[in-house]
Amino acid sequence: MSTTDQDGTPEDGGRIVAAEYVLGVLGAEERREIERRLEREPALAREVALWEERLTGLVNSVRPVAPPADTWTRIEAAVAASPAPARTGLWQSLEFWRTFGIGAAALAAASIAALTYVGLVPAPRAPMVATLGQTSGQPGFVAAVSTGGDSLVVVPAALLTSDQRAMELWLIPPGDRPHSLGLIHPGQPVRLNVPPALVGRITTDATLAVSLEPPGGSPTGQPTGPVVATGKLTSL
Amino acid sequence: MDADASRSQLAAALVRVAGGDRAALRIVYQDTSAKLFGVCLRILKNRSEAEDVLQDVYVTVWRKAGSFDPARASPITWLVAIARNRSIDRLRSSAASRRAEPIEEASDISDPSPAASDILESAQEHRRLHGCLGELEARQSSAIRAAFLDGATYEQLAQRMGVPLGTMKSWIRRGLLKLRACLER
Repeated sequence: MSTTDQDGTPEDGGRIVAAEYVLGVLGAEERREIERRLEREPALAREVALWEERLTGLVNSVRPVAPPADTWTRIEAAVAASPAPARTGLWQSLEFWRTFGIGAAALAAASIAALTYVGLVPAPRAPMVATLGQTSGQPGFVAAVSTGGDSLVVVPAALLTSDQRAMELWLIPPGDRPHSLGLIHPGQPVRLNVPPALVGRITTDATLAVSLEPPGGSPTGQPTGPVVATGKLTSL
Repeated sequence: MDADASRSQLAAALVRVAGGDRAALRIVYQDTSAKLFGVCLRILKNRSEAEDVLQDVYVTVWRKAGSFDPARASPITWLVAIARNRSIDRLRSSAASRRAEPIEEASDISDPSPAASDILESAQEHRRLHGCLGELEARQSSAIRAAFLDGATYEQLAQRMGVPLGTMKSWIRRGLLKLRACLER
């Protein structure tokens, strides 16, 4: 049986690298490369998380060893000297992104547009927004979900290059595969109606992602092109 | 306390840590530091390096607790991942200085029989993983265990077990795919 080669296993589409990363068999440079990819490839990050869940039970055979008594004191001192934990909320993210010159004004405009949209409807539940960061770290889109959860508006937050390919928005509920929410536009706000089956799946645990697809959208029902922006939904 | 209760308590403590609660960090430390120190020691095989890394692990927990999502990961998985990643990074960065040390004896690779199930993991999941590892060829499962627990690279494993690099990669990759198929059954 020769289904395995040096660079991956064809039957696995190269995804084995997530397992290799978790297992710990890669060298320092390969590890750094995977970590860079994890930031912009949600599918790879999910695969890594799955392998972590699968393999962590192996540590059951590791004998616990009490650390020296002064370790906690040193941790406490280090924690006292370090800033409070990084929050992952929207406003902290906006602050962070404001330090990037490009896109800041567009982001502000997009946020205002998105918030205006959210404000137009009464609020039976907390409205949700997501800032979809590009691989460069700059925001690409701001998405705001209507308070009923049945529609969302997606506003471009930066000047995005658009070739012949379409941009498709995906909802990725926790532990699930991506579900298409429809096509969006790099140059203008788009309002999308959420398919009824997905209304309940739009939660603060879910991720939104934008992929490049053939004109008309993905032919397979799953993302086929590169993911250009992702972000997690946050309650306002 | 059963595994589920201890898991939810740990998850709750991590959520509080994300809110800046130092008392909650202490709870996390008390519940998990002996296990994580064991994990770091096993990879680094050096007490003072393991102590440094352990400190770094909990400072990382303090800073990154906001990215822990109880809906997506079990708390012990999240913590073990931080401890292993930090230890492996330290191991790799000091790899040059370790090259002179003798390679581990091959007998180290043959796995110690798994200890009694941890409180931190349910007995059922434990049996499942070990059952599936038992379905692999012995050399595949011992290479996978050695890689996970010792943080050994493909090259080191190949050298230890006296096989070509390509053979080791192929054992491990096939073993992982088989393991996944078994766990998903």
